[in-house]
Amino acid sequence: MAEALLQIGEPGQTRPKRACRTSAVGIDLGTTNSLIAVVDGGKPVCLTDEQGEAIVPSVVHYAADGSVLVGAQARDELAQAFPRDTIASVKRFMGRGSRDAEATRRLTPYQFAPGDGHVVRFAVAGGRAVTPIEVSAEILKVLKARAETELGVKLAGAVITVPAYFDDGQRQATRDAGRLAGLEVLRLLNEPTAAAVAYGLDKQAEGTFAVFDLGGGTFDISILKLEDGVFEVKSTGGDSALGGDDFDRAVAHLLLQKLRQAAPADQVIAALAGQAGEEGAVADLATARRWRQVLDASRALKEALTFREDASTDLPAHLPDGEGPVTVGLTRTEMELAVEPVLARCAPPVRQALADAGVRADKLSGVILVGGATRMPLVRQFVEKLFGREPLGDIDPDQVVALGAALQADALAGGSTQGDMLLLDVVPLSLGLETMGGVVEKLIHRNTTVPCGAAQTFTTFADKQTGFDLHVLQGERELADQCRSLARFSLKGIPPMPAGMARLEVTFTVDADGILRVAAQEETTGQQASVQVKPSYGLTDEEVERMLLDSFAHAEEDVQVRQLTEQRIEADRIAAAARAAMADTPDLLTPEDRPAIDAALAHLAGTREGLDHQAIRRAIEALDEASKAFAARRMNLAFERGLRGRDVGAVEARADETAAGKHRHAHHGGKH
Amino acid sequence: MICWSCEREGGAGPLCAACAVVLPPDDAQDRFSVLGVPRMFAVDLEAAETNFKKLSRQVHPDRFATADPRARKAALARTVQLNDAWRTLKDPMRRAEYLLELAGFELKGDDRKPAAAEVATRQVSAPPMFLMEILELREELAEAQRARNAPKVQAMAEAMRRRYADAMKSLGAALDEPGGAKLPEAARLLVGLRYYQRFLDEIPGEGAHG
Repeated sequence: MAEALLQIGEPGQTRPKRACRTSAVGIDLGTTNSLIAVVDGGKPVCLTDEQGEAIVPSVVHYAADGSVLVGAQARDELAQAFPRDTIASVKRFMGRGSRDAEATRRLTPYQFAPGDGHVVRFAVAGGRAVTPIEVSAEILKVLKARAETELGVKLAGAVITVPAYFDDGQRQATRDAGRLAGLEVLRLLNEPTAAAVAYGLDKQAEGTFAVFDLGGGTFDISILKLEDGVFEVKSTGGDSALGGDDFDRAVAHLLLQKLRQAAPADQVIAALAGQAGEEGAVADLATARRWRQVLDASRALKEALTFREDASTDLPAHLPDGEGPVTVGLTRTEMELAVEPVLARCAPPVRQALADAGVRADKLSGVILVGGATRMPLVRQFVEKLFGREPLGDIDPDQVVALGAALQADALAGGSTQGDMLLLDVVPLSLGLETMGGVVEKLIHRNTTVPCGAAQTFTTFADKQTGFDLHVLQGERELADQCRSLARFSLKGIPPMPAGMARLEVTFTVDADGILRVAAQEETTGQQASVQVKPSYGLTDEEVERMLLDSFAHAEEDVQVRQLTEQRIEADRIAAAARAAMADTPDLLTPEDRPAIDAALAHLAGTREGLDHQAIRRAIEALDEASKAFAARRMNLAFERGLRGRDVGAVEARADETAAGKHRHAHHGGKH
Repeated sequence: MICWSCEREGGAGPLCAACAVVLPPDDAQDRFSVLGVPRMFAVDLEAAETNFKKLSRQVHPDRFATADPRARKAALARTVQLNDAWRTLKDPMRRAEYLLELAGFELKGDDRKPAAAEVATRQVSAPPMFLMEILELREELAEAQRARNAPKVQAMAEAMRRRYADAMKSLGAALDEPGGAKLPEAARLLVGLRYYQRFLDEIPGEGAHG
């Protein structure tokens, strides 16, 4: 009932279930935010939560009791209190090893569990160590649940987007996360290509386009030719560790300098200010909290300065006369000066991509903006200057990737009006093998259209050599140790022969997802010796299998934990709604109402802390009961004020449903 | 080819003539015939591209995302073959190399030695005089670049582009000479072209095919 109170003034809340031909979804698994979309009546739409919000913040909180919470609540309420147990920007760690400088040497609030170096493991509450794949799977599970509730069916499959510049390890990790979340991953789709699909199909765009995609943690530039439903990627480039996150860090650095001036006695600030942007995880929990606070404040200031010339925020600090908030202000100019050096890193990949595509900037038909960071006026100016033209932003840059992915998912699942659509994507970074002397022999060059293949024959170096050790690499540099190591192979069981006699044929195949498969065969003996693949980064297939089995084994437990988490969220929302309603119309409260509702609220607050989800549900129902009369009066008031465009039956039915405790269903309006 | 699905004769096309499932590629097919165009340097690129896109639409793995694993495997192999063929044909250098390779010239060299292609073609015939000339030109270019002499760099690039275009024209004619009479000359021209291309690669914003 309390929820009905909150929602009564907002017409159009009941939504019919979507009538999609296919239940294939497009998922944008972003660094900062994630979205899920479907094609409904030929048009792609993002699925929203009950508040109409399409974005799920990519923030995952692990609680001490084993429960997992994903989204805005994790970001807004838990990240600061539990900086180590609340993983944000997990995408940065996908496909990275624990000794991988790019991922772990920056200042982060996380604690890393010791491991074998193949994957990063976060040490989180409850003594658990979770991999980025598992963390991402939690985000995917939430999106999947949203779609299944909305569509009312089990999903047929999903297209998950990845930055075009993701290497093989990062792609594998994304695919594994999808599997772990119980999704049938139909395809990994490059984000810029997805954006182009959305523009090409929705806006009928034709010609050669640049897609400038600056997300939370990655930067991609792709040059595509759009013609007759063919989306041909000419070239791609970027930096898989450059994004809005880095802007936040640059702003945070500036904020810390200001804080240090305002509160010189604060040792934590002094330490952070000296360290910001430098390597190393934060040593102690208190410092981790402060760093998270400063990062969050920086993000909020950055967003505020999109629309305003100056903004300020209060941050706690240790002052000579005790603890107190310090107000730090920032002008847009100051912020822009701080982020400009980061933004400048986008220029070289853009020039390279244009050169690779053989296109001059002035010959482009348009520049498509993708990613939340492109909302910043400074970024738009930068793009305009770089390309000499005003960029396109007709489609919401936050949603465009998910929308394009949904169109592709629809086409793949065969329900498609886009039956003639053809996506020709490319390999972002060259693939090769290490040869004698640590030199890389490239088998597949970057910007080769996928799927593609290549074969190369190698021979023995020494007499009576019976095995080969092969090292698969990705990157543009000449030497193996300058490229990214993807996997090591051993091929054994070759009969002893003089050097140079054995001939080993190694075959590379890159599929449409951009994922590499390697096969090897010894030719002279015709025998296909056993090949052992050990990925340099990420998990082996066996490890993913084991995680899947574990998740089945714990399914029962997980259900309990999820119900508890859901009831807690429900409790918080309903309590907030009741408080808001009481504050909104205090004159409608009788002298009996207030103590009864207050008591029910207090009881709910108490049970919420417990572990019994049924007790919480009963407390929610008790609150409904206590506020029933008050709710009825509010409803009457709403009618008296002349609620238009709404039929009385629907409102009553909704009120009945909520009274029976079916809060969730009320919004999907399955009965209307 | 006997169809893997209906086990009847499926014909030579990408799809089985009897039951329309996608068939695995014939590895013996050359890249020109994969795209349904005559084997020659002066190939009709427009026709090749049209065929490439038409065939891609039929066999691309995206058409078989939810299909039988065997169909998916065949679609993947077909598309790899198609992409490889189009990549070779659309680029004049690769197209020329491939034609020479088909004619039995060992341009790729001994594949047991990586990067042997360079060695082999250099051995074909880069005459010392030619090498000296290119070396001097490159030094001159580096000098002009150091001095930030933009007009000079542009002029040198323009001259080299002309040389490149002329050599490419001769190469095409030599390759398409009836009976393969001028193939050795084509091989020599190709060697020269590689040096011209590398020269142009030294100049930012220049590409041999731009």
